[in-house]
Amino acid sequence: MGHDDLKEMLDSNKDSLKLEAMKRIVAMIARGKNASDLFPAVVKNVACKNIEVKKLVYVYLVRYAEEQQDLALLSISTFQRGLKDPNQLIRASALRVLSSIRVTIIVPIMMLAIKEAASDMSPYVRKTAAHAIPKLYSLDPEQKDQLIEVIEKLLADKTTLVAGSVVMAFEEVCPERIDLIHKNYRKLCNLLIDVEEWGQVVIINMLTRYARTQFLNPNINEGGEKAFYGSDDEDDDDEEKKAEAAALAKRKPYVMDPDHRLLLRNTKPLLQSRNAAVVMAVAQLYFHLAPKAEVGVIAKALVRLMRSHSEVQYVVLQNVATMTIKRRGMFEPYLKSFYIRSTDPTQIKILKLEVLTNLANETNISTILREFQTYIKSMDKDFVAATIQAIGRCATNIGEVRDTCLNGLVQLLSNRDELVVAESVVVIKKLLQMQPEQHSDIIKHMAKLTDNIQVPMARASILWLIGEYCEHVPKIAPDVLRKMAKSFTNEEDIVKLQILNLAAKLYLTNSKQTKLLTQYVLNLAKYDQNYDIRDRARFIRQLIVPTDKSGALSKYAKKLFLALKPAPVLESPFKDRDHFQLGSLSHLLNAKAGGYQELPDWPESAPDPSVRNVEVKDSVRAGGTVTLRGRAPGGQACGVFLSSDQSSGEEQKRNRKVVKERRSGSESESEEESESESSESESESEEESESDTDIKKKKKTIAPSSSVRMYELLHRITGEGLAVEYCFSRQPFSPDPHMVAVQIQFTNNTSSETKSLHIEDPKLQSGMRIKEFPEIGQDFLLPAGESVNVVMGIDFCDSTQAANFQLCTHTRKFFVSIQPPVGELMVPAFLTENEFKKEQGQLMGMNEISEKLNLGEKCQSDHAIVERVTAKANLSRVPCGSEKENRFAGKTVSSGSLVLVTVARKEGGGAQLTVNCEKMVIGTMLVKDILQALTQ
Amino acid sequence: MISQVFILSSKGDHLIYKDYRGEADKDAVSIFYEMVTALSGDQPPVVMSHKDLNFIHVRQGGLYWVASTKTDASPFTIIEFLNRLAALTKDYCGSLCEKSVRMNFALIYELLDEMVDYGYIQTTSTDILKNFIQTEAVTSKPFSLFDLSNVGLFGAETQQSKVAPSAAATRPIMSHRSEQGGKNEIFVDVVERISVVIGSNGVLMKADVEGEIRVKCYLPTCSEMRIGLNEEFSIGKSQLRGYGMAVRVDECSFHQAVKLDEFDTYRILKVCPSQGEQTLMQYQLSDELPCAPPFRLFPTVEKDYGNRLLIFLKLRCDLPPKSTALNVSVTVPVPKSSLSLSQELSSPDQTADLQLKNKAILWSIPRFPGGAQLSALFKVEVPGLSSASLLEVGPVSMSFELPKHTCTGLQIRFLRLSPTHPGLSQRWVRYVTHSDSYTIRI
Repeated sequence: MGHDDLKEMLDSNKDSLKLEAMKRIVAMIARGKNASDLFPAVVKNVACKNIEVKKLVYVYLVRYAEEQQDLALLSISTFQRGLKDPNQLIRASALRVLSSIRVTIIVPIMMLAIKEAASDMSPYVRKTAAHAIPKLYSLDPEQKDQLIEVIEKLLADKTTLVAGSVVMAFEEVCPERIDLIHKNYRKLCNLLIDVEEWGQVVIINMLTRYARTQFLNPNINEGGEKAFYGSDDEDDDDEEKKAEAAALAKRKPYVMDPDHRLLLRNTKPLLQSRNAAVVMAVAQLYFHLAPKAEVGVIAKALVRLMRSHSEVQYVVLQNVATMTIKRRGMFEPYLKSFYIRSTDPTQIKILKLEVLTNLANETNISTILREFQTYIKSMDKDFVAATIQAIGRCATNIGEVRDTCLNGLVQLLSNRDELVVAESVVVIKKLLQMQPEQHSDIIKHMAKLTDNIQVPMARASILWLIGEYCEHVPKIAPDVLRKMAKSFTNEEDIVKLQILNLAAKLYLTNSKQTKLLTQYVLNLAKYDQNYDIRDRARFIRQLIVPTDKSGALSKYAKKLFLALKPAPVLESPFKDRDHFQLGSLSHLLNAKAGGYQELPDWPESAPDPSVRNVEVKDSVRAGGTVTLRGRAPGGQACGVFLSSDQSSGEEQKRNRKVVKERRSGSESESEEESESESSESESESEEESESDTDIKKKKKTIAPSSSVRMYELLHRITGEGLAVEYCFSRQPFSPDPHMVAVQIQFTNNTSSETKSLHIEDPKLQSGMRIKEFPEIGQDFLLPAGESVNVVMGIDFCDSTQAANFQLCTHTRKFFVSIQPPVGELMVPAFLTENEFKKEQGQLMGMNEISEKLNLGEKCQSDHAIVERVTAKANLSRVPCGSEKENRFAGKTVSSGSLVLVTVARKEGGGAQLTVNCEKMVIGTMLVKDILQALTQ
Repeated sequence: MISQVFILSSKGDHLIYKDYRGEADKDAVSIFYEMVTALSGDQPPVVMSHKDLNFIHVRQGGLYWVASTKTDASPFTIIEFLNRLAALTKDYCGSLCEKSVRMNFALIYELLDEMVDYGYIQTTSTDILKNFIQTEAVTSKPFSLFDLSNVGLFGAETQQSKVAPSAAATRPIMSHRSEQGGKNEIFVDVVERISVVIGSNGVLMKADVEGEIRVKCYLPTCSEMRIGLNEEFSIGKSQLRGYGMAVRVDECSFHQAVKLDEFDTYRILKVCPSQGEQTLMQYQLSDELPCAPPFRLFPTVEKDYGNRLLIFLKLRCDLPPKSTALNVSVTVPVPKSSLSLSQELSSPDQTADLQLKNKAILWSIPRFPGGAQLSALFKVEVPGLSSASLLEVGPVSMSFELPKHTCTGLQIRFLRLSPTHPGLSQRWVRYVTHSDSYTIRI
């Protein structure tokens, strides 16, 4: 294989040549051709500066590393360096590629990288760490225990970005460790709506399984119809009492665990999702978990899905078909949506028929049958056949219309299309079996058809019918046998078998007329080519023709042949599908797919619900939260570790207070300390040997994982025990992208519970808007000593004016106000270097503000500058060719105006700060803030 | 979890192959193609299994988009993902066809790499992906006059003079580095699909319209866009607005990014579209059409002397006179034993022929102006014609396109970008109604 030209191009100095070569190589991979002999030439370029080339090299590396392990190791150091890059995107990408290299030797390196990334300050990197976990697990399953620790830690993460990915890892690595979910259950329920769509699907599926192990069956009391309102179950009551300390005032026989209700309530809005997978996930959750009376809400959403691509329709209909068997009423209002369109593909038509048949009842059957009649005219033969079968099923299920259906089917017997006739015969046969006495004329009619119908199955069915009910047609039956005897040799095997059957039955009932005919047929069959037929002939002869040798059995011949046969039950092929979890691949295939996890049965009695309470001492035991506590007494400066620490317990709060008090005294100082420490720990960890993970872990916790600052909204004393703090979480506020997300933490320090927290009477500057947190709910209580986090959105209209409003509980109202620092009014914008320059070019003159400054002592490095600027303002870093410059970009939240920041370092500690922004006020304030941050 | 993703041409050529987990064999691609082609019928099942490997596929742009999995992954997730992949490919490459996929394999490979990690879907959002995607799209777009005369004419009714070739909306979204193509354009489509069943007595038995408003945005950083709908637009039966004829729909759903604070009073949708194609609003109307269905058919079926069947069709287009229906085709099923056809059509641009495979007459009319009436006489030779054969004629089905027309009457009053975007930004609006299933029983 001569790839010399490619090798040459890869060795050249020009990026364009390298890029061209890499594109050609990737093309080979994409088409499935082997390009492994180029490995040495490609791997050299792993450190290439050109990002386009670099990405293609990564693609190649991941594909061939397993085959060329030794050479692949050469690239590892590049990725290790990448893991330390100040740019979060580069750190994430390095981790992603590193963890994709399937070389066992680097397992320890991967493990270390994952652990570090799991406490990275960027949620994007933590998400990548979660994705890397299953990769490492499949490479070396022995790492399971260590990986579970990382999963546990990441499960505690509060950012929506991470939640979906870590649950994916959980499901692959340790789905059996359901205990890891307890503490995170409520948080996952509350975050769910903001998680990205693919994560939602995974989380919902996992929570379905969780709920099935932890809650009681909500339909448990439904013995009969009226049980819904039943007032029995005294014992149950007692149990519930124990389970729920804060019981509701109104008692019902079965009381749903509030956590169970939380799950149902928080998933319901997702039925509106535009992602079919999310809608289906919620639908199956409701189907498997909700009380019967509430399941109905999913019908509309599922019907809506039927308007999307035919592939989606296909899977939706499969699931609807299963649901209609169990809960018919749910879909009845949508009957018309399942009518068949001439443009539907056959498989969709057949599934719709299935659903229509399942939905048929006394009231709607006439409409459905009329609809079916028009379907029979279709040109699609498979569909016509299925329609006739469906009519048969309706007839068996609904006694009232049996005769109507039968008449309709008989009319079809004169159809010119043989397939229609044949299928009708088969169905009529089944129907007649139910009440043959009344229908001898139909049997006669069918006997006549033997002259015309050629379809073997239909012929066989007619013959069986005549044989079975020969008493009803005593004159015709022998004649049919005569005709059949004539054509015996030309018939298909199944027809031949039925001719033998017919002959035997007639011989037993009317031997005078048919004795000779039977003998003749048996003789023909004796020499048939098919041994089955020869066998049958011999068996029948022995049984029915009395000879001296034939034993006692022939006495019973009549009983054997003409025994009363039970009528066939025409039932849906979807009848037993519901033992597979709906929406799963196994359900679709009706067979267990690899790794299918059985949906557990409801427990007999509810497991302890208090495991889900998030309390201080529990979080200590869980050990998942990183040691913030250890440092508290020392009063070390630290940011507040919202993202890595889930425990919202007392202790941490006290800790936070300490910090805040210090902050209020000398804010700048404390910040400086924390920063310097982080850079120290970073440099130290680089020097440390890899084995020393323990020490490292401790160090890591000192580095601010995400320095989100808490502000006080309501002091514990003024709030009469209710303390409220807020921070700018820098998460996108999904209900409205023009709002700044403000995370609010309520802590109830009183000895009684606080109810119905909500906002009233906002006094806002014109244009400003508030999106209140969904009121925590009437039935929600904030018990004494607990705290809860909610997120609200405020559109500040890109100004630093305060938002004033009243915070209300069930008893009191408090006036509060939130004033944003200018840096929180923006969201990161991801620009390339060229885009940045282009945009900057358009924001000159009045829109540009430039200041000279002297960098503070501890602020000389790139790293420190980046840290400080991003701490001050919610901006993202823009890649930059020049080493002296750092660029940042963002957009204002409300109007989306670009904010561009450039810090150019000069010789001797000086620097130039430039801010380009259309909004001059914002620009000016930002310059001031950043200037302050950089000079100290 | 997805094991592999591959894209095959309709002929089975491997266009893209990406293995995420290395757990499935490479010959999976050929196994899949064999399974698909071995099956008869109009559409192979969406899910197929071979040993312990499951294939899930969708067909878009004449290509097979396939994912294979060994585990019990949610089939919805995978189907939805494949559809998004196809949509993103369309966004990034401009159009969706074998050629564009072949030319942009590096780009698609990069997309696949960013969207899925080790079989887990990471993201499918254009806004996030554009930070990572480096490769430029390659396009080849020979300009042809045919495009102009074809259905895809853009232009709001008020600006008849301003029309853009339909190819304008089929270019990649990411082309700012090569400056030539980077026009700041925004396209808004109102697309409706109508399905109708008309009984043999001419009574409208069933009608429903499904519509959507789609936006394709080429603005690199878009500010807020405001789309004004008819003020008479009302949802549900109870609500009636305005003085004129109400534009009514039964149900309406919106993309999550759409802000509706001005919708209730002014019928204005506010949105900051991200680059690429999005569906802003979906709506449907069932049972009641605000105007007559676009076509009425008056059929006569008779037995002529000998074995000849006479079918006389009169077809009237009930659209307003300034609208025109395009690519109208009428399918009339005829008895199974039909042998040959002779026809009399009212103009030479129409064609009709007997399709022996489907046993149906296909009558095609390239242009059909509103208010016009066309007639056709078909004489079909049917050996052994009986009165029962007459029953085999029908139901008639039609397909057509109605450019610049919406069945619900939904119109876009205005389209504003605020604040007005620096540089040239062009806005295009088009309307089209497609037939979904239009059946007339005889």
